Parts: sequence; C-alpha cells; structure tokens
Amino acid sequence: MKILSDFSNIFKRYDIDLEKVGQAKQISKDPILQSIAKFVVEGDEDGISPAVDEALKTKTPLDIINDALIAGMNEVSRLWEEGVYFLPQVILSSDAMNIGIAKCEKAMGKSMERKGKVVTHTAEGDIHDIGQVIVNALLNANGFEVINLGADVPVDKVVAACKEHRPVMVTGTALMTTTMTAFPKIAHQLKAVGLDIPFICGGGAVCEEYVTSFDLGVYGKEASQAPGMAEDALTGEKWSAMRGKWNG
Amino acid sequence: MNAKERVMAVLNHQKPDRMPCFCANSTVTYEQMEKVQAFWPSGHEKGEDMAKQALAAYTVVGFDAVRVPFCQTFEAEALGCGVKSGGTEGIPGIAHPSPYTLNDTPVFPNDFLSRGRIPELLKAVRILKKELKDEVLIIGGIIGPFTIAGALVDTVPLLKASFKTPEKMRPFLEMGQKAGNMLAKALIEAGADMISCEDMTASPDLIAPKTYRDYEMDYQTAQFEGIRVPKILHICGNVDGIVAWMGQTGAEILSLEPKASAQLAREKCGPDIILMGGVDTATTLFMKDVATVKAGSEESIADGIQMLAPGCAVAPGTPMENLLAMLEVAKAH
Repeated sequence: MKILSDFSNIFKRYDIDLEKVGQAKQISKDPILQSIAKFVVEGDEDGISPAVDEALKTKTPLDIINDALIAGMNEVSRLWEEGVYFLPQVILSSDAMNIGIAKCEKAMGKSMERKGKVVTHTAEGDIHDIGQVIVNALLNANGFEVINLGADVPVDKVVAACKEHRPVMVTGTALMTTTMTAFPKIAHQLKAVGLDIPFICGGGAVCEEYVTSFDLGVYGKEASQAPGMAEDALTGEKWSAMRGKWNG
Repeated sequence: MNAKERVMAVLNHQKPDRMPCFCANSTVTYEQMEKVQAFWPSGHEKGEDMAKQALAAYTVVGFDAVRVPFCQTFEAEALGCGVKSGGTEGIPGIAHPSPYTLNDTPVFPNDFLSRGRIPELLKAVRILKKELKDEVLIIGGIIGPFTIAGALVDTVPLLKASFKTPEKMRPFLEMGQKAGNMLAKALIEAGADMISCEDMTASPDLIAPKTYRDYEMDYQTAQFEGIRVPKILHICGNVDGIVAWMGQTGAEILSLEPKASAQLAREKCGPDIILMGGVDTATTLFMKDVATVKAGSEESIADGIQMLAPGCAVAPGTPMENLLAMLEVAKAH
C-alpha cells in the first residue's frame, strides 16, 4: 500500500481544471514485481535497469516481462484511455518497459516469443509519428513484434518491409490531411504483390470514409484498438471481415 | 463593406454586413493552383508564386483574407533545421535528424530574417499588399514556440522532457518565441494586417495541459508581445483543456477545430475573445459533400463561432464546391 500512496503524490499535480484525477492500480501482489511495474507506470527509464537486474536474481525473466513490465504498460494504457495520462507519459513508460524487456531478453539469451509481426509507419511527409508511438507501445505490450518504420516513410519502403517481414497486419498513421493520400497507394501496391493483409489506418487527419474507400483499409479510431485488431489478424481474419467488425 | 472592413468590424465588436469567412491556416488546393497557374513546390519557395497562390483564396474562392505561408517550416529552417520538399502535391516538412539535442545550448542567428526562405515569404507579403491594398486582409503566419522547439530537438524527446526535465525545454522555447516574434514584426512591416500563429505541438493531443499552463503559455504570450496587429492563435485538436490559457496569451482571436467546444471557449475566455472555426478539414471539407459542409458550418455558428473558417489547414485535394458551400453559409449570416 505504500506504493499506492506514492502514486497519490504523483497525481497531486492533476488539480487542473478539466484534467481528470486518477490513480494507478496495484499491478502485482509480489512486492518485487510491483516495484518493477511501478517504474513502468512512472516512466522511470533510469530506475528500471538496476531494479530489473536485482529482480532477475529471484524471478524468471519471463515472469518479470509478463507480470511486471507488460502488466505495468497495460495499466499505463488504461490511465491514458481514461484521460489521466498524457502522451509524454505513455512514451516514457513505453521506453522504460522496452529497457526492462531488453534486460530480460539478455538474461534469457533469446528474444521473448512474440505472437506475430506488425509493420507500423507514419505517412510520408508526416513528421508527427505520435499516434504511432502509442500503437507501437501497445502492440509491444501485448506480445507482438513491432517492425517500426518510424515517421515520414515513403510508400515503397512500407511495401518492401511488408514483403520482407510478412506481418499479420500493417498500420499507417497520418496527422496531416496532406499526407494520408499515401495510404491508398500503399494498399494498392500491397495487393499488387499479393499481400492481402489488413492495413489499419488512423490518426488525426484520417477518417473512416476515407480508409474504407480502398481495399485492405480498416479504420483505426483509437490507438488502443491496435492490439485487438492484431489478435484478429493473427487468427487469419481477413481485412473485409475486420472492417465489418471494427468499422461502422 | 469590403473584406477587410468586414473582419475588422468583428474584431471591433461591431456588426459586420455578414459573417466573415477565411482561414487561420493554408487554404491552397490543387484546383486553385490550376486556376492561378502557380504550383507546388514553387509556392513554398518563391515569393511570386506564393503570392499568386495566396491570392486565390480571395480571387478564386472569395474568402475575406489571404494567408502566407502554406507550411510550418520557415522559422525552423532559418534556425538550422533541414527541410524536405513536399514535391508537387505536399507541403515541406522538417528533415531528420534535428539540429539540436536537449543538452545543447541553441544559438539564435543574427541574420535570422535573411535566412532560408524568409526573404521570399516577406516578398510575397509585399506583393499581396500591392495587389490588395486595404481591401482584403493579409495574414502572415508564424509558428508557436513549442512547435518550433519540437522541430529543433525533435518532438518525441521534447515530449519526454516535458515530464522529466521540463527546464531543459526553456532555451528552445525561447528560440521559438523570439523567432516567431521577429518574423511577425517583419511580416507586419511588409504589409501583413494580421498574424496567425499555428502551434500544433502544443495541442493537448500531444502535451499535458499543465505543460501548456506552466511553460508554453508564457512563451506564447511573450511571442505575441509588441505585435500591434490582431493575432490569431491556432492549436489543433480538442483544446478544451487549455482554452482558458490560450485566451490569456494576448491573442484577440482563437481558431478552433470543431473537436473543441466554442461554447466552452466563450465561457472560459469571456466576451471579448473572437472565435473562428467551423468544419473539420479532413472528415467534412475534404471527404464529404456540400450539404454536410453546410450543416457542419451551421452547427459551429450555433456553437458560438463568429468567423467561419476551416477548422485547420485545408487539404489540397479539397473540392472547390465544399469551400464555396462554407462561404455561402457565412454569407447568409
């Protein structure tokens, strides 16, 4: 309970009008795992490394990954969806989680097993890879291997990455109306090379009518939908079926 | 009433002959480029073509104001960022890597106003002034401190710093403040009647409202200081959480996307602030039809918008008839 009272100190700052007050839940009953999860929730990139080293003396890397690092990130995702956390906190937490996962993977001598690959990118010309950062974090936290192409990615590079990695799905983010016109071009090229995978498009400038106007396109309204969509794609669900399920 | 008088009437809290209609951001479209025979990328680079494309907002569409520039890279480029051309279809963007890290001490260039494409931008304003005299409002665009800082050190590190080491943001916010302020004064000197500040990265979609209150608000206020023409502050997305502070920066006009509540902005900012905005540029203006644009425009006016405008920069593929539909609604009010 000591840790929870520490969180309340963090949230003292959220006294601002229109900002929601919230509190992180306890993530693990195990005090060691809970302390690791707390570093993720607080986005403490510096503190997490020594804490994971210490925990590895008594816990298995897989337990730390699943019950502390990923569990902590899921809690961050919840706080973000509820409007308690803002984007910078999600980024910090995701970085902390990744540092922890890298430590555990090193201890295991291999990468953690991933469910499947997802290629993510932000449209060419768009320098705001912000939505994508969250998508990456959530996919990562849900056990997918993220092939992160970053921001301002040309059409050809997206198609080439899909050819190389054979992901279960690919995502595209655009915050500017001027850049989302790359999406139908990508979809067209993917189809042309026989990659009939769902192409999830989202971001500030993107809307459902636009995305569902071309084949493969599935509109992603919220970043938080990405893991669920990836799970569907993993089971082999086609883009047309996913569109029926996730879009109106 | 001519176009400029119409806008000034609203600013002076007088009744205009009809509601003004123009945009705080770029309104250039491919159709307009064809009409005036000036194209991208030259419209981002050469004063003559920039002026031609800006004029189209008045001569082709019929808006009450014209605006330059059409992208968000002028200050950043002059401060040392690389710029990537958007080709014939898109707008220029900031190239990676960024010139600074948060641990650097940035240096403000003495010759700021003669760097990059700023001389061409100022030339465009002088051409516009010569063409339009005092009949149509000329808007000069600047970029807000937080967005410029994001270009200087890259957005993601800046966002992380906003929670971890916020004091490290200050030298970069100061650079952004100074750059926008200097550019604004030069734009006015060249003939601009109004300054529009776009501060995309300060949106609550990206930063916490408290970061706006504790850091950006002061720099934005300082950026507006000494600017003697009316100022528009435009921040993208749902700004409900920061709109009260936006109203305290010295901006006479707030430009809102329909995601933000005009009614709330009125409550928070009081009776003097002028609210502009209207329909969503992506979901409505670009994608939908005349009827939807009209309905969206009416909705915004009912919500308290006083000057009808696209909610953000117009997508260049936006059909002309949708822009005209918006103008038609303004004419009926």
